Amino acid sequence: MADRIASSLLKLLTYIVFVISTAVILFPVFKGIRYFNPTFFTEFPSQGMTQGGIFPAIVGSLLLMSLVAVFSVPVGVLIGVFLSEYAKPTWLSALLRTTITTMTSIPSIVYGLFGLAFFCITMGFGTSLLSASFTLSIMTVPFVGGSVSNFLMAVSNDLREAAMAIGADKRETVFMVIRAAKTGILSSTLLGLGRAFGETAPILVTGAVFYATNLPRRLTDPIMTLPTHIYAVVTNFPEDAYWMAYGSAALMVIIIVAIYSIVQWIRRRSS
Amino acid sequence: MDTEAKLVNKEIVYEMKNLSAWFGKNQVLKNVSLKIYRNKITAIMGPSGCGKTTLLRCFNRLNDYTESFRVEGDIFFNGQNIYQMDPVQLRRRVGMVFQRPNPFPMSIFDNVAYGPRIHGLAKKRGLSERVEKALKAAALWDEVHGELRKSAYKLSGGQQQRLCIARAVAVEPEVILLDEPTSALDPIATERIEKLLEDLSSRYTIVIVTHSIGQALRISDYLGFMYKGELVEFGETSQVSEDPRHELTQLFLTGRIG
Repeated sequence: MADRIASSLLKLLTYIVFVISTAVILFPVFKGIRYFNPTFFTEFPSQGMTQGGIFPAIVGSLLLMSLVAVFSVPVGVLIGVFLSEYAKPTWLSALLRTTITTMTSIPSIVYGLFGLAFFCITMGFGTSLLSASFTLSIMTVPFVGGSVSNFLMAVSNDLREAAMAIGADKRETVFMVIRAAKTGILSSTLLGLGRAFGETAPILVTGAVFYATNLPRRLTDPIMTLPTHIYAVVTNFPEDAYWMAYGSAALMVIIIVAIYSIVQWIRRRSS
Repeated sequence: MDTEAKLVNKEIVYEMKNLSAWFGKNQVLKNVSLKIYRNKITAIMGPSGCGKTTLLRCFNRLNDYTESFRVEGDIFFNGQNIYQMDPVQLRRRVGMVFQRPNPFPMSIFDNVAYGPRIHGLAKKRGLSERVEKALKAAALWDEVHGELRKSAYKLSGGQQQRLCIARAVAVEPEVILLDEPTSALDPIATERIEKLLEDLSSRYTIVIVTHSIGQALRISDYLGFMYKGELVEFGETSQVSEDPRHELTQLFLTGRIG
């Protein structure tokens, strides 16, 4: 009896959570998707954000994510491989592991502040695409590294021994382990980039402008991005500009759902 | 006398002398000495935890990567001390098959071709022949030759284990070590593997660890019995089974310990 009550209670809770999260996903999509038209995707905003589209924000986010992918994926994967396959179990590697876990839970605005101080000011990159992509990369590397190392460590030792027993050296054995974990590695990087894609605060202080008349031409030019555009619209413009925020939010949600669906599809296909 | 000694030595592939081994403070092998004879099947039996797997893994130095492992004593492989050899080179000449089938996450073909590839043993053409030969030697060819591109994970447990044997055979080692290779398999798959090992013993030296007395008696030429880290008994299988020197062996063979 108690078991049945507990299980129906858990079921009910699950349904509630499911309904709420679906609502969070669907609300901006329903509210924003009606503004989707060719103009919305291809034009600059105009008339105080009441006309035009979000073209520069889309391009900005794309450029930013490409750079973040280039900077953070190789480094993240290498750190993951090092932690799982090379690091000896010493206090130093334990410290490194703890640091990486801690870094994934530091508030993103702190990364923003660091980026502002280091990349924008000390390195002299200014408020720019470059500063923002370095800042987001520093945020993404620990997530990808930690996640990749978890996937590699989950690979059974049987496989490492199978490779060693046939005369594979360390490098060849590691490649075999990477091969076995490749869907996990791929989904780690996609999820890491998905997280970075939605970040607002760090870009706000290191690379974004509310309105740009031109697309960035150099790495040191500032950019518009989708999340910072939403922020700009709702904080600095009257309500008749809000539609643009809903449209942008709808696009972001669709992209994130697409990324997660790809991850799920990859995982299902491999199992 | 000298030439005779050499002749005898050619028949000895491995000679283990006074080997003791520890994981941390726990001594798992106690002063073990034995010889492994060429193209014979040597079986090591004993109850769980007696050290037989650790013993087997000494032959290809597969314990060495475990941080807490420590070893004393000597093992000679064709007269050469294995602790003075590059372990990667040693393992190229000594194949191993594990308790649970552990194919690589690759196609059937690539699994078998992996060893020859990393050791640069065959060009593209020779490679297919080598793979075919190895799969035939492992009695798997007839079942898989039409689907070599299929993932190895799609095979049954018994087929996977024969694939692992093929993978080991493909680099043409001198010795094949097997660690309870049939304990995860059903009786029919087990029988196939036992038959296969007898066929393979004409070309390879085989060392098999098993906790099945029946299996040890059926297939081995030499038989060792381990108990609590010691090699209690070692000799020709007929002698050990009919007239064991040690009481513990007698007790194990009759099912009263183990």
